[in-house]
Amino acid sequence: MRRSSNAQLLLLFAACTSVYANAQQLTPRLPLQKNSVRFAVIGDSGTGDQKQYDVANEMEAYRHAVGFDFVIMLGDNIYGGHQPKDFAQRFEIPYKPLLDAGVKFYASLGNHDDPEVERLYKGFNMGGERYYTFKKQDVQFLALDSTYMDPKQLAWVDQTLKSSNARWKICYFHHPLYNEGKMHGPDLDLRNRLRPLLMTYGVNAVFAGHEHAYQRLKPEDGIYYFVLGSSGKLQSNDFHHTKLTEKEFDRDRTFMLMEIANDELYFQTISRSGETVDAGSLGRQAAAKTASAGH
Amino acid sequence: MRVSSLMVCTFLFVMAGLWMAAERGATQATVTENKALSEDLQKRAKQYLDFRKNVAGNAPRSTDTPANITKAQKKLADKIRVARAGVNQGAIFTPEIAEFLRHQIESTLTGPDGDKIRASLQHAEPVQITLQVNVSYPEKVPLQSTPASLLSKLPELPKGLEYRFVGRELVLRDVDANIVVDYVPNALPS
Repeated sequence: MRRSSNAQLLLLFAACTSVYANAQQLTPRLPLQKNSVRFAVIGDSGTGDQKQYDVANEMEAYRHAVGFDFVIMLGDNIYGGHQPKDFAQRFEIPYKPLLDAGVKFYASLGNHDDPEVERLYKGFNMGGERYYTFKKQDVQFLALDSTYMDPKQLAWVDQTLKSSNARWKICYFHHPLYNEGKMHGPDLDLRNRLRPLLMTYGVNAVFAGHEHAYQRLKPEDGIYYFVLGSSGKLQSNDFHHTKLTEKEFDRDRTFMLMEIANDELYFQTISRSGETVDAGSLGRQAAAKTASAGH
Repeated sequence: MRVSSLMVCTFLFVMAGLWMAAERGATQATVTENKALSEDLQKRAKQYLDFRKNVAGNAPRSTDTPANITKAQKKLADKIRVARAGVNQGAIFTPEIAEFLRHQIESTLTGPDGDKIRASLQHAEPVQITLQVNVSYPEKVPLQSTPASLLSKLPELPKGLEYRFVGRELVLRDVDANIVVDYVPNALPS
């Protein structure tokens, strides 16, 4: 009994020192402005292996430094089975410190997710729907189900974007519209259907997963596109090396930190080992201003 | 000679008119027939959901614990299986409806965006499982994404049912109970 307690104490100590050690090396690259919207981004995270846990620990360390209060999930949130033990191993345990701190996770669905179990699971904040919207200050988020983009969902996207008066509009879903990864590539049919809506209603940024690497693409139609499918899974040597991307990274797992303040979107992409692999800021697009003014 | 040329021209003109009228009539007949098949499918889908509600109750609701969701899903599926015991492939996707769906899919895939749709199907991680009506879709097998352009050509389904591809088969899936309600064999052209 005493041996067991000692072991638990040792584990706790190791975890604390690990977080503390990480905290010593943190290099936040966000401006941390007053009243800004701060969040994290993860994609293809739900493996339940140590590497997912490492990323989760890094996120928790950065939460202390940056103070984000929600996370958007780009799909493939739970790989394999969807029994209670799977939710525990692939979501509740790795992100426990974040959940305990009140951080909310807003999931979108990937092809490895069980839509009916996940949309009803309160930890994913989907409100019982496969696609939904929520607003944080002046930022409207649309979480879409790219595995089943039927006419009903497209009409909903149209109506939701049209009626939004938010300064920033962000869409996120699993399948990337633009992607230079070798594993999957872009979903051209989905692009055909969604692109006109994103352009018409002045969507500012789009996040997708599915490809197990990180990419920041050159703006397409003035829209910022990010692919992040490496918060649990990883596909090394994944790129065609075309001129589609501004930045790509496939050597380790990653997550992103975002901050939106006034007309600027700041981002920082951090690897499992704590390396900042990409960072910068992007201005709110003129096209978006025109489009939102027009609607 | 001049008269016979005029007669030939008139004959050809009349024949072309008749042929166009027949074509228009055939197209109109096909549109009417497709509308009827589409409505028949929607009626059968609604009947299935009404039947499900009567024998198995409502769909699971949001909860904190995945255990409650999976338990409710299994309970619903078990009741449906008992109530639909003996139902075979083709009860909802009748041979006529199945042929209509195959035609819709093929015409979309041979249309101007066919290559993009085929690419999307390939990128959607195609799956292969043995299908059987009333059996649960395997928990650990990913659901293949269904391209948006194909969904726009298929009759709209009521909430609670969806189309999914498994290999070349088009599956009608009860999303709340996670069971295969019916399927169309060889729905995707080889």
